[in-house]
Amino acid sequence: MVRLYPNRCQLVGSAFISGFLISLVRSFIHFVILISRQGKVRLTKWYSPYQQKERSTVIRELSGLILTRGPKLCNFVEWKGFKVVYASLYFCICIDPDDNELEILEIIHHFVEILDRYFGSVCELDLIFNFHKAYYILDEILIAGELQESSKKTVARLIAAQDSLVETAKEETGSISNMISQAM
Amino acid sequence: MEQLKTIGRELAMGSQGGGWTGQSKEFLDLVKSIGEARSKAEEDRIILREIESLRRRIAEPDVPRRRMKEYIIRLVYAEMLGHDASFGYIHAVKMTHDDSLSLKRTGYLAVTLFLSDDHDLIILIVNTIQKDLRSDNYLIVCAALTAACKLINEETIPAVLPQVVDLLAHPKEAVRKKAVMALHRFYQRSPASVSHLISNFRKRLCDNDPGVMGATLCPLFDLITADVNSYKDLVISFVSILKQVAERRLPKAYDYHQMAAPFIQIKLLKILALLGSGDKQASGHIYNVLGDIFRKCESSSNIGNAVLYECICCVSSIYPNAKLLDAAAESTSKFLKSESHNLKYLGIDALGRLIKINPDVAEEHQLAVIDCLEDPDDTLKRKTFELLYKMTKSTNVEVIVDRMIDYMISINDNHYKTEIASRCVELAEQFAPSNQWFIQFSVSNNFTFQTMNKVFEHAGDLVNVRVAHNLMRLIAEGFGEDDEGADSQLRSSAFNIELLFLHSELEFIYGNSTHIAAKILNNILCNKFLKMVNSYLRILGEPKLPSLFLQVICWVLGEYGTADGKYSASYIIGKLCDVTEAHLCNDTVKVYF
Repeated sequence: MVRLYPNRCQLVGSAFISGFLISLVRSFIHFVILISRQGKVRLTKWYSPYQQKERSTVIRELSGLILTRGPKLCNFVEWKGFKVVYASLYFCICIDPDDNELEILEIIHHFVEILDRYFGSVCELDLIFNFHKAYYILDEILIAGELQESSKKTVARLIAAQDSLVETAKEETGSISNMISQAM
Repeated sequence: MEQLKTIGRELAMGSQGGGWTGQSKEFLDLVKSIGEARSKAEEDRIILREIESLRRRIAEPDVPRRRMKEYIIRLVYAEMLGHDASFGYIHAVKMTHDDSLSLKRTGYLAVTLFLSDDHDLIILIVNTIQKDLRSDNYLIVCAALTAACKLINEETIPAVLPQVVDLLAHPKEAVRKKAVMALHRFYQRSPASVSHLISNFRKRLCDNDPGVMGATLCPLFDLITADVNSYKDLVISFVSILKQVAERRLPKAYDYHQMAAPFIQIKLLKILALLGSGDKQASGHIYNVLGDIFRKCESSSNIGNAVLYECICCVSSIYPNAKLLDAAAESTSKFLKSESHNLKYLGIDALGRLIKINPDVAEEHQLAVIDCLEDPDDTLKRKTFELLYKMTKSTNVEVIVDRMIDYMISINDNHYKTEIASRCVELAEQFAPSNQWFIQFSVSNNFTFQTMNKVFEHAGDLVNVRVAHNLMRLIAEGFGEDDEGADSQLRSSAFNIELLFLHSELEFIYGNSTHIAAKILNNILCNKFLKMVNSYLRILGEPKLPSLFLQVICWVLGEYGTADGKYSASYIIGKLCDVTEAHLCNDTVKVYF
C-alpha cells in the first residue's frame, strides 16, 4: 500500500506522550459527588482540576445520567471517556476506565458505613446539617484521590480525637467567658 | 447496602437527624429553606440573598471567631451549590492562622474546598502550613498535611518538602500515613523534585502500622507503573505481605465484610500484575499466593468479588500459568452467569482480558455474551461491544460490524458514535486479508461497501479521516487488480466511498500522482456517474448530511451533472445554490461548486 501519510505515526506518537504526561497529575479518583434523589447537591469533593463552571456542568450531566437509571442496572456508567460508579442516595465517584469498579463501589459503602457509625444510623438530614463533618470524615478516607485508610476503627479514632479537642476548646472558651462575666 | 437503603427511607420520610451541633438557628433555617425550595430559581434566590448578607457581615470589624467560623461554613455551603463566594476566601485563609484546632481545622477545610493550588492566596497559607507541620499537636500536623495534599504545587513543594520527609518518622501512625500520601502527591505534581527521596517509600513499606504500609502502596504503584524494572527486587516482599494479609495476620480492624484487608489486597494485586507482566521469573513467585486467594475469596460479597476480579486481572497480565488461568476462567464463568448486572459487567471485562491469552475461552460463553448485548442496560451493552471488538476474527467480522453499526446508528452520544465508527472501519480494514477477499466478500453480500456507506453517511464527519482513507485506498487497489470480473453495482458503491475521501484530499493525491489516482480516474465511466447524479440529486434534499458526503455530491454534480444533457446547467446550479443556503457555515462545501 502506498503510504500517503508518512507522518501519521509521529502524530500518534506525540499524542501518546502528551497523554502520558498529563496522566502524572491525574488522580485515581477524580471527584466525589453526593446528590439527592431530586438532584440536590449534598457534598462535592474535587481531586482533579475542575473550574466552578465545569463543576456545575458535571453535576447537571451526571444527575441526568444517573438519576434516570433503573434499580437493577449496573452501578457503573460510562461518561465522557471516564467511568462513574454510583450507589443509591447517589454517591457518585468518577474514575478512569481501567480501574476496578466494584472496588470503588465498596469504597462508597466503606464511607457510608463510617458515616453511619459516626452519626448513629446516618440519614440524609445528618449530612445536610453537618456537611462539614462529612467532609472531615471523607478527608480521612480519601486523600488526593486515593484511598488513604481502610480501617473504620482508625478513622473513627482520629475523628473522635479531633472532635474532643474541638469540644475541649469550646468548653475552655465557655468557662473563660463565664469567669469574665462573673467577674463583672 | 442496608445502610444505603436506610438512608433512602429516611430521605423519603424526612425524619429528624441525630446530633447536629453548634450551628446557629440561622444556618438551620437556611438549610431548611433550601431543602423546601421548589425550583432551582428559588434555591438560587435564597442562596444569593444569603451571600449578600454574609458579604456585609463578614466585613464588619471584630467579628467573634466562632461566628466567623460559621460564616465560613455557610460560604462553603454556598459554593458547593455552585455560587461564587470568593470575597470570603481571605477570611478562610486568616482562619488557618488561628491557634485553636477547631478554627484552624475549619479554615483548612474551607481553603482546600475554595482554592486550587495555583490560586494567588496560596502564598499566604504556605507559611502557616510550614509552621503547623512542626506543631507539637499531632492533630494540627495532620490537618496541615491534608491541606498540603491539595494546595501545594510544583513551586511550593520545596518550602514544605524537608518537613514532610521528617514526618515520615513521626511517632504517630496517622502522621506518617499522611506524610506518605503528601509525598506521593508531590511526586505526581513534580517527579523531579521528589526523585531523590524515593527510597523513603520503600522504607515505609516495612512500617509497623498496616495503615501506613497500605498508604505506601499508592505511590509505589505509580512508581512501578513508570519504571517497572527498578522495583523487580520487591516482588518477593509484596508477595510476602500479600500472603500475610490473606492469612489474616493483620489486625481485625482492617477486616471488611469478612474479608481480610481487601483494599490492601487489591492494591497489592495491581502491583504484582505490573511486576509479573512478561517476566517468567517474577511471575513464578506470585503463582502460589494467587492460587490461595482464588480459593479463599468470598464470592458472596461484593468486596470478595472485587478481589476475585482483581485476581483475574493479575492472572491475565502476568506470565501465563495454566492452573491459574483455569481458575480465572471459572470465576469469569460465575460472574457471567450471575443475576447481578455488576457481576456480569465484570465478567465481560474479565473475558476480554482472558481471550488475549486464549481466544478459545470466548466460545463457551457466546450465549451469555449475546444476552449482555441485548440487555437494556446501556453500560453493559457498551462493555460487550468492547469485548466483541477484541473478539473479531475474519470469520465473524461481518456479523460483528453489522451489529456495531446498528447500535451506532441508534445512539445519540457523539463522542461514543465516533469511537464505534472508527472501530468499524479499523476492523474491516484489519480483517480484509486480501483484495480478493474484499471483492468476493462484497459481491456475495454487497455488505462491506453498503455498510461503509452507512457508516460514513451517519458519521462521516466524525470518523477519523485518516483511518477511513486507508480503507478507501484498500478498496481502490482492489479494483485496480480485478476490475473485469467485478459487478458494476459493486464498483459504483465502492466508488462512492472513494470519492467521499478522494475529495477531502484531492490536491494531495493528484499532487503525488500515485498510480491509484490514475486508476481511479481511469475507472470513471460516464454511465456510473449519471446514475450517481440521479441518486445524489435525490439525497441532496435530505437534511443533516455530513459535509464530506456533501462535498462529494457537489463535485460530482458540478462535473457531470450536465454530462448527458438530461439536466440543464441552471437546474443543477439552482439545486446547488439551495444547498449553499442551507450550509452557509461550511466553506469547504461551497468551494466544490
